[in-house]
Amino acid sequence: MSTPPETTRLPDPVATGTGQHGSESRATTQDRASGDAALLRVTGLRKTYRLGRVDVPVLHGVDIEFGRGEWIAILGASGSGKSTLLHLIGGLDRPDKPGNGKPRATIRFNARDVASFSHAELDRYRCRDVGFVFQFYHLLPELTVTDNVLLGAMIRHGRFGYMAKRADLRKAAADLLGAFGLKSRLRHKPSQLSGGERQRVAIARALINDPTLLLADEPTGNLDRKTGAAILDVLAEIRRERGQTMLMVTHDPEIAARADRIVELVDGRVVEASG
Amino acid sequence: MYHALLTRRYLTSKVMPLLASLAVVLCTAMVLITWSVMGGFLMNLTQAGRSLIGDVRIAWPSVGFPHYDDLIERLEADPEVAGAAPLIETFGMITLLENKTEGVLIRGVEGESFARVTTYADTLWWKPLAEPMKKDTEREDVRLEPTDHDLLERLYKDGLSLSEIDRETGQRESALVLGIEVGGWNMRTDWGGYYPRVQFINGSDGSSEVQNLFMPAGGELTVLVVPLDSRGRPMEARTAKLPVANEFESGLYDIDRKTVLMDLKALQRMLRMHEVKRAVRSGDEVSSPLDGFFEDAEPAPEREVVVAPARVTAVLVRQADSDDSSAMDLDAFREHCRAIYAEFAAAHPDVPDAGSIGVETWEDANRMMIEAVKKETGLVLIIFTFISITAVFLVFAIFWAMISEKTKDIGVLRALGASRMGVAWLWLRYGLAIGVVGSVGGGLLAWAIVTNINEIHEGIAASGAWLGQTLTGVPWNWYIWDPKVYVFKEIPHSIEPWKAATVLIFGLLSCLFGALVPAARAARMHPVKALRFE
Repeated sequence: MSTPPETTRLPDPVATGTGQHGSESRATTQDRASGDAALLRVTGLRKTYRLGRVDVPVLHGVDIEFGRGEWIAILGASGSGKSTLLHLIGGLDRPDKPGNGKPRATIRFNARDVASFSHAELDRYRCRDVGFVFQFYHLLPELTVTDNVLLGAMIRHGRFGYMAKRADLRKAAADLLGAFGLKSRLRHKPSQLSGGERQRVAIARALINDPTLLLADEPTGNLDRKTGAAILDVLAEIRRERGQTMLMVTHDPEIAARADRIVELVDGRVVEASG
Repeated sequence: MYHALLTRRYLTSKVMPLLASLAVVLCTAMVLITWSVMGGFLMNLTQAGRSLIGDVRIAWPSVGFPHYDDLIERLEADPEVAGAAPLIETFGMITLLENKTEGVLIRGVEGESFARVTTYADTLWWKPLAEPMKKDTEREDVRLEPTDHDLLERLYKDGLSLSEIDRETGQRESALVLGIEVGGWNMRTDWGGYYPRVQFINGSDGSSEVQNLFMPAGGELTVLVVPLDSRGRPMEARTAKLPVANEFESGLYDIDRKTVLMDLKALQRMLRMHEVKRAVRSGDEVSSPLDGFFEDAEPAPEREVVVAPARVTAVLVRQADSDDSSAMDLDAFREHCRAIYAEFAAAHPDVPDAGSIGVETWEDANRMMIEAVKKETGLVLIIFTFISITAVFLVFAIFWAMISEKTKDIGVLRALGASRMGVAWLWLRYGLAIGVVGSVGGGLLAWAIVTNINEIHEGIAASGAWLGQTLTGVPWNWYIWDPKVYVFKEIPHSIEPWKAATVLIFGLLSCLFGALVPAARAARMHPVKALRFE
């Protein structure tokens, strides 16, 4: 299995001119550099799922704040609501509506409330501002490694935008994959890769649109300890090189310890936050 | 952009969409082949129906109308008209061998003008052939025999003139030309031609005599017709024994089985429609040339001789350059002929007026037959279309299954920012792609089959013969379109671009329709549920 060279600097798609909103992205980079203002502020976040006729509350009013460039680990046991929190922050799901004594939840990202976004705004938010890394990689098996990485860029830029920037985007994808030690795997299908390689492809896919926020849901959960450690090294490298704000969900305190800050969730409530 | 990429990848990396495409290919091809063959059948039928009519028929049935020579002259003087020919149509009877009688349609024509206005010359069967018919691979056609060339040449000329030379007098006398199926004297071969039958006649002394039923070689038939008076009342039946000059094949069984052509003049005499001189008292009004016949009477000194002109029941008209696209529309040509007839009627008070006379195109004349085949074609198409709609359900089922299989992919796409509409369009586009592949493939398959349908048919028949011979010792007859049974010698076919386009678009829309509900289901999937789907 290939491992990323420690000395390799991660390429920045913005720097290669591939970011769609150059001014917005530049501003974001400056914000990251300053690292003082809160990027994300969650207040009163509640989420209840309905199983048959039974309401199952998962989050019971979570309040949490993330600074720019921070690496935060959400630690919690299975069923504690950590993945749900990640999905809500990432705009994949919506919090409970206010009512019945429940206050209105807010997820303020760059001073905008994600919880009140329309469908189209949520799509745009997921596309431009957020990058997801999943436990089971979720690579599309029919696509090559390069195409998997470029998928997000295709969705973001649309047919004509993508065609206009195709060469730059392909170079950015190749650079990202090269930085992750996958230069020789560009035309491979996911089935031809190891678990660690697949997860690195998934990370590259999450980074192709240069998102402000990287959300990783148990990124090492499906890997052996050594490979998992290598993936965490990759994430650390990303954070160091790009000043990326990262939110990582894990149930493993040892993995969580790699983050700047740990937020512990127990039964849908934040019980402890350690710096 | 991701739509195109995923559509391409899904289409080429999965068996199920290929099966869906194959189903669409087969359904599209099935409908197109059916339509093409039925269309070809209709086209052949109408062309056959046109072969002995010309383009327009001006008709006043039963009693007919006089001065047709003048009408023909007026018509032929018009630049839109290529030619015109007189015709008498009447029902009559012919006495077959062994004294059986059969009702037939007797058409009196002038060979030369009839051949000019119709494709009569082409329909004459007994004539020398230089090349065998397409399916006559063994060169069994008697018309190919060089030893019979002179006889066949004579029969052809006799057929054209509807006459033959009397052996005793040496004079040319009127003769009949029979539809090739009249009397059943010809046996249809498996290559679509005819052999004259032979008949064994057993004598009372136990001897057996072989009688050749080749009618143009000395065969004679008795024709019976019933003349009508000016009011359409039947008069005394008249018979004539006439030799058979030739036989014709129009391609329409009903016509070939029930039609006898004979020389116009001879039929006019039999029906008392020929020109007659008639004596009337001075001052008498000539009410009708049919009120009395004094064919052989000498006019009395105090009487005036008037001529009752010959009559025909119809004049056939051929349009000039009717196959030219710049030529007048057939319906317009019909009205043009009506206008010419109106001028003619104005000059002759004893002919039916332009409003009463029947002026119809060959399509009008064959409308019953054409409409029947059109309805049959429509019915067959509806049945096959219903069968083809199964493709919609097939696409639906395959897409439903694929969307279940690809639920995680949908979740990933949504997580990467794909909109609901984007996901829906991905699957609709996928359905469209299957439709395009299926429809175009089906179109090409149909084209390949239709253009080689007769070769394929022959191949199937040959396979059946070989297989039967191999397995049972008796060749199996797998001929579906047996020339012995069907009038057309080959399976007719005609692929028209608009038909192909209609079927292809229908195939495309079927796939799109089949993908509609699964696409909506994919679009409505909750991204988190999709990502957690096991």
